[in-house]
Amino acid sequence: MSQASDLNSVRQPITSANGLANPHYIDPRIFAEERDALLFDGWAGLAVVEDVPEPGDATPIDFTGLPLLLIRDRSGDIRVFQNICRHRGMILVDAPRKIEGAIRCPYHSWCYSPEGALVATPHVGGPGQNIAEGIDRDSLGLIEIRSHVWMNTVWINVSGTAPAFEDANADLIARWADFDRPLYHGGADSRFDLDVACNWKLAVENYCESYHLPWIHPGLNSYSRLEDHYHIEAPQRFSGQGTHVYRQLKSESGSCFPDFDRIDARWDTAAEYVALYPNVLLGVHRDHTYVILLMPDGPGRTTERVHIYYSQPETDADLRQRNARQWKDIFVEDIFVVEGMQRGRNAPGFDGGRFSPAMDGPVHLFHDWVAGRMLAHQERRLAAE
Amino acid sequence: MPPNETRDTRLAEALALGDTAAIVKVYEEAAEAQGNDQASAFFLTQAYIHAVEAGLPEARNLRAKLVKMGRETMR
Repeated sequence: MSQASDLNSVRQPITSANGLANPHYIDPRIFAEERDALLFDGWAGLAVVEDVPEPGDATPIDFTGLPLLLIRDRSGDIRVFQNICRHRGMILVDAPRKIEGAIRCPYHSWCYSPEGALVATPHVGGPGQNIAEGIDRDSLGLIEIRSHVWMNTVWINVSGTAPAFEDANADLIARWADFDRPLYHGGADSRFDLDVACNWKLAVENYCESYHLPWIHPGLNSYSRLEDHYHIEAPQRFSGQGTHVYRQLKSESGSCFPDFDRIDARWDTAAEYVALYPNVLLGVHRDHTYVILLMPDGPGRTTERVHIYYSQPETDADLRQRNARQWKDIFVEDIFVVEGMQRGRNAPGFDGGRFSPAMDGPVHLFHDWVAGRMLAHQERRLAAE
Repeated sequence: MPPNETRDTRLAEALALGDTAAIVKVYEEAAEAQGNDQASAFFLTQAYIHAVEAGLPEARNLRAKLVKMGRETMR
């Protein structure tokens, strides 16, 4: 368990706070504790709706060791279930596939509808007898995980205890109301993964701040200086940065991506980049949005799943590929610093570090959120014992 | 009733090819060839499950047969 004394040193004003101590980035026990307190207790990002584009599509997702099944049911609704048979806990689906009629467990062939109902239990009462006392199909359906879709992202609350997504995130939803509309995934050339040797929280912390931009992303210096950026700070919910000088990508002929229809004029030159706690990084612009799902794979490894969206289903392919490449180049520039910070967490002299009061506000807020959630989680656990 | 080699071969081929319609057909034939309800219901169940998984229309009739035999739930 992480020490309360360490966490309390994080929950201080930015001028005196330390960052989270090393074990929060390298200790498997604290990784497991954070999994429950940060990822499972709140609304975490799991996937995008395009991962299951058609009714009947199903794809398994391992979420920090939790076997999940993402399905688009026959009504077209997105559902998330635990990917296990209620009989003997066998994994039901091990690769993306279309469910034509039912999900059949590969072990004893219990069958589930795409809506999660248990519809068949072959030979459960003996050969040729598909009924048995005590096997109540109505109570043995797939275990559903609360889910919600926003910005084409599938959010899950594993604990089942979080407030409704739209209540928990009302302020960001309102802030970005201009983007609450159909978003069109750019397709195969607008999605990519980055496998990074760092704790997922370091990716959040780096994303939140503009302080590193002049050094790590020098290509931005010519048109998006440090002073053109502003902090976005919503304690206990999200933080990040915005820019006043977003510049649209142009084709050789001078055309741009089409804007989102009737978007507010403030987005003409503004763009915002927010980490919605715990694990989703979002970017919004007048002509495209993106989502980065941070998928933790142990204390020191994370897969970043990037998806880019546009205002129309069809966009210029060359421009789209340039945009994806540009964002990928920028995100790749961050890799050596997040991996370097991860390696640095093995230095026993590092005390979690300190924050620049002027430049690290959004980062400090994330650390404070983590520490607060961990302390609350520990208190609940102690109270339950 | 001794195993039917032709049917076994057809079943093996159908399973190897993933030909669900053929799998269901072989199991249905096997069900009809049995001399008692339990053996028949076993093969009907095999046919039914494959049909359910694949969303084949045969699933409805197969289920109805099993329900009539008291070997499947009404719904």
